[in-house]
Amino acid sequence: MVVTAPEDKKEKVEAIEAVLARLLRLGSLVAAALLAAGIGLMLLGLTTLAPRLITAGLLVLLGTPVLRVLAAGVIFVKERDWYFAAFSLVVLCAMAAGIYFGRGE
Amino acid sequence: MLVTFLEIFLIGIGAGVVGAILGLGGGIIIVPALTLGFGMSMRTAVAASTVSIIATSTGAAVAYLRDRLTNTRVAIWLEMGTATGALSGALIAGIVSQRLLFILFGLLLSYSAYNMFKTRKAELHTGVVPDAVSRKLNLAGSYYDKALCHRVEYQVTRTIPGLIIMYFSGAAAGLLGIGAGIFKVPAMDQVMGMPFKASTATSNFMIGVTAASGAVVYFARGDVKPLVAGPVVLGVLIGAVLGARLMVRMRANLIRLCFMPVIAYTAIEMIYRGIKWW
Repeated sequence: MVVTAPEDKKEKVEAIEAVLARLLRLGSLVAAALLAAGIGLMLLGLTTLAPRLITAGLLVLLGTPVLRVLAAGVIFVKERDWYFAAFSLVVLCAMAAGIYFGRGE
Repeated sequence: MLVTFLEIFLIGIGAGVVGAILGLGGGIIIVPALTLGFGMSMRTAVAASTVSIIATSTGAAVAYLRDRLTNTRVAIWLEMGTATGALSGALIAGIVSQRLLFILFGLLLSYSAYNMFKTRKAELHTGVVPDAVSRKLNLAGSYYDKALCHRVEYQVTRTIPGLIIMYFSGAAAGLLGIGAGIFKVPAMDQVMGMPFKASTATSNFMIGVTAASGAVVYFARGDVKPLVAGPVVLGVLIGAVLGARLMVRMRANLIRLCFMPVIAYTAIEMIYRGIKWW
């Protein structure tokens, strides 16, 4: 029992890192593709569609940190790691409140 | 237009490489480059820079997570401090004296620059004893160091002071609009006893979260100009991926050597901004 406990913990930590790495890679690839397409179209003179594509790329990128905290929170809940699930929730609430108050300025 | 795009794009790549290696946002490069180099307004530059912080964080984090350099548990623990700090900073803005804060945080940075200089030869901390919170939350980590060619196991200590520093650094970021990563790296390296590379990688991971709330606000205000932010952010993304690949193979001493001038410059600049309004 004493020998296997640290092993189990290590497995869990590696799982969360793999999931987050996949999420962030997907986010950056989609964002980069949209940005590159937008800039390419801009240079070709398609000035109506291009800024929209770029904005879409920026918004995808903007979503990745939020999704990252959310995904970490879900993983912690699944692992019944209540402390860290609660920490993730605190971070999400503070982000949401920051956006709410910031918009009101 | 092609030339301007290309120039902004290249600046972005440079900022991404530097930001990814040092665990900073790269605003120290992007804001002056866009305002002084291209005559853009401060608002446009800061908005583009804030979105690039997310690009640095997301682009570099993939490599750092895969190499286990990022300590996700420490990151989430400390993000509580930065996120609530940033929130309270934004709420009390206008009540507290900005110049006093600039001087205070400038002095704090000078002190950590001095500490960093003192420990410049040490590749890793030795004899770090984890405190009760760190043991309870299982914050210890390990990674395979590609520069040292061996596995580094480390402990984390002074968990509560680290969180408090993060709270104030988050408030500083909210109040003064500075310091995405410049306080985070010394807090983990010097206060919590984490290896320097784990500190920059974990700082890198965290800065995206702090920047995200700010970036949403800039988007809502219409400060994010797609034609400016687009090329910068694409450059930063590519630069961050390259920078992260370089960083995992660099020795901690070399990274610290690159970090010291940045922290010293920021400290002096902050103290100057505090004093000149007197």
